[in-house]
Amino acid sequence: MYGFGGTVLRINLETGQVRRSPTPESFAREWLGARGFVAKTIYDEVPRDADPLGPENLFIIAPGVLTGSFAPCGSKLGFGCISPLTNGHADSNMGGHLGPEIKYAGYDMIVFERISPKPVYLFVDDDTIELRPAEQYWGMGSLDLEARMKKDLGEDFQIATIGPAGENGVAFACITHDFGRQAGRCGVGAVMGSKRLKAIAVRGTKSLPVHDLPGLTKHTYDIIQRTKPHPNMEPWQKYGTALFVSWANEHGCFPSRNFQTTVHEGWEGISGEKLAEEVLVTHKACFGCWMNCGKYSRARIPGKPDTYLEGPEYETIALCGGSCGMTDIHHVAYANYLCDNLGLDTMSGGNITGFAMECYERGIITKKDLEGHELRWGNIDDFENFLRMIAARRGIGELFSHGTRAAARKLGQGTIAFAEQAKGMEFSGYDTRWYSAQLLSYCTADIGAHHNRSWAITADIELGQDTPVGKAPVVIYLQHIRPLFDTWCCCRLFWGELDVTPEEHVDAVRYLTGWDITIEECMRASEKIWNLTRAHYLERNGGPGRKHDVAPLRQLEEKIPNGPAEGKKVGTENFNYMLDDYYVNRGWDKDGNPTREVLELLGIGYAADNLEKRGLLGKPVPGGIPKVRGQKLKPKAM
Amino acid sequence: MVIYLRSGGKLRDRLQPDVDQYTRRVEVEGTPTLREILTSMDIPHALVAFGFSQGTVRRLDYRPTEGEVVTLQPPVAGG
Amino acid sequence: MRIKVDKSKCTGCKLCQQICTIEHYREINPKKAAIHIGAEFPVPGVFTPMLCVQCGACSRACPETAIERTGSADAFVIDASKCTNCGVCIETCPIGVMYSHADAPTPIKCDLCLKCTEVCNTGALTVVDSPRATSR
Repeated sequence: MYGFGGTVLRINLETGQVRRSPTPESFAREWLGARGFVAKTIYDEVPRDADPLGPENLFIIAPGVLTGSFAPCGSKLGFGCISPLTNGHADSNMGGHLGPEIKYAGYDMIVFERISPKPVYLFVDDDTIELRPAEQYWGMGSLDLEARMKKDLGEDFQIATIGPAGENGVAFACITHDFGRQAGRCGVGAVMGSKRLKAIAVRGTKSLPVHDLPGLTKHTYDIIQRTKPHPNMEPWQKYGTALFVSWANEHGCFPSRNFQTTVHEGWEGISGEKLAEEVLVTHKACFGCWMNCGKYSRARIPGKPDTYLEGPEYETIALCGGSCGMTDIHHVAYANYLCDNLGLDTMSGGNITGFAMECYERGIITKKDLEGHELRWGNIDDFENFLRMIAARRGIGELFSHGTRAAARKLGQGTIAFAEQAKGMEFSGYDTRWYSAQLLSYCTADIGAHHNRSWAITADIELGQDTPVGKAPVVIYLQHIRPLFDTWCCCRLFWGELDVTPEEHVDAVRYLTGWDITIEECMRASEKIWNLTRAHYLERNGGPGRKHDVAPLRQLEEKIPNGPAEGKKVGTENFNYMLDDYYVNRGWDKDGNPTREVLELLGIGYAADNLEKRGLLGKPVPGGIPKVRGQKLKPKAM
Repeated sequence: MVIYLRSGGKLRDRLQPDVDQYTRRVEVEGTPTLREILTSMDIPHALVAFGFSQGTVRRLDYRPTEGEVVTLQPPVAGG
Repeated sequence: MRIKVDKSKCTGCKLCQQICTIEHYREINPKKAAIHIGAEFPVPGVFTPMLCVQCGACSRACPETAIERTGSADAFVIDASKCTNCGVCIETCPIGVMYSHADAPTPIKCDLCLKCTEVCNTGALTVVDSPRATSR
């Protein structure tokens, strides 16, 4: 088989047994890798009542078909399991260099089963697979451990680690690699930690089998030369994702102080330009990427040692920065470093800390709860104390370690009204009160509130920010095309920013594998995965689907108090309109349950059977489901 | 005076390049701001995050100079 | 000519490594590349591309006279028909840029094909003219 490493590994952490089997080509063709491999395997094998931090959950690592393949930015690696935040499917992917290394060692998926009796790390050196003791590493920070393992094993090894937060089962713990790339969302670090798996170290020295190497080489070489002078190249190379901070503030979607408002006073101090001026050390690229959007930085704060980190990205600036009231890029960079080394998602971590800061502001939590400390907006020391309490699950840190929704439910006192999350996972860095398509995107996303599924901000601008009309079909299209990149497992920024088309990515798959595959087939696979994980979510969490596709009250009914989006809110009626439209366009019933018709059309009729057994199957749609689910955005007439 | 605007993606379709695949030659009266130039070309400001020229970010109140080439950067999906 | 390395511009993307192995081995396998990317992280956080500077020390050391300056690029190139893979050149290289791989029939060194400079997008690897160094 071309394009793949060739082997699936299954590792029983309880017994230490390692089983190898050839990657079936039919499986590879149907599910394409990464997100697809994970979704199917978890659906088939994890019991519906499995505890996410228990022995029956699987922890899976899988590169995708394009990983390591000389395709544009073929860098990415998928991680998946059942999420401790949402109790649904977790899909988190990571750039850097580990994904290609796993492929070059010959592997397409590594499935970890059960729980190790003692801390271990996985050592892979081509065909050598060992579970090595990691007791000596337990308790170490993620970044600190990677530095140590690079020294111990050699620079040739690619390393991914969890920090103390993952070891302690913090529900939004992440996995860190390459000194600052993360599988950040969904709490995949907690699941890795629940299995007492502290790190993964891989060296792969084999060649990737390619069906048509001259064709693939010319294809990507031409794209390289074509995109070098692209207008977006230079700003991206210089600022990375942080270049979005100014627009978000100027157009009222930047979260300030736990999303209390959407223009942040002092945002200029945490902008992309400030990053480049004050903290930038090196531009840093993922494997095979010539846009090098990664920014490696150094934070300098009087009284603290200098800290080095990759970032801060837009999301960290939004959530650790704006949402926690910060105005100093050094503080945001330091907050980024803390999260990385403790092993916490900067996005959920920033969001939860902002939520806790609002709770403190309102007197719902007090100094007594915080071991005598305060939790003031913009105060980096307060931020650090709080984060460390969460990572250790100490005192009130234990409450917040389960995520914003769980914390709000336990605190009561109306706090759920300002918990910015969906399905238990915290909003990423966009306030949606003037961007209703983005709210719909967050609340219907399979993994909880994450924009990587659908970034619909410009769709809102094109279609009209004050209307709910026409948003749903566009969100559905985005929910198919964007996670397709998480399935091929390459970065979507070449498509999103440099005009490399989805068809060109499919061409790369064709050259690589020899498959006669089309973009239509890939989009259908992506829609299939979407529906499979929806069905899985309902089986685990009960139905109907509509009861889970819920928006935070602040986004629905609390008007933005100032700034460019003053007075805006989405409105419950508008949200329900969009949700109704969404279900119709998805081929689901009005309660948000997938129908047999759409599941069978996508080739997963077994999912319909399983839903039906539990009384969760969607009722047939009168007149049938739409022929095409999802619509690409048509820009406003010019 | 004459300035040059460059863009990619959907913004390029609005720009209607005429110099090369990304670049549009624009004649303007006086020394307008980028915002004023976009208005005159019916390009919604919200679709432009900032201008970029000579390695520097230019806010929309920037006034380009004769012959300057300014990239129009659209809002982007941060990560 | 020679390849000029500006390490301050290297981002560690490894496009150069991929194109190098595609060009020389018709494979995608960065571990077989004639260019390595040193990475000093977490501190100071810099990348260093490392490849042959065509000094000729390997050529002088080779017991089989398998390494000679040749071709339009005037680079020191290993003749696979003469090389016995003894490894003396690797030991001799004064800056450690003669590499090896279990699957490669000879040691691996840069032959100035310049493909890496064509894909590098930051200016870390560029082509410059240089006077011909004296060979043996």
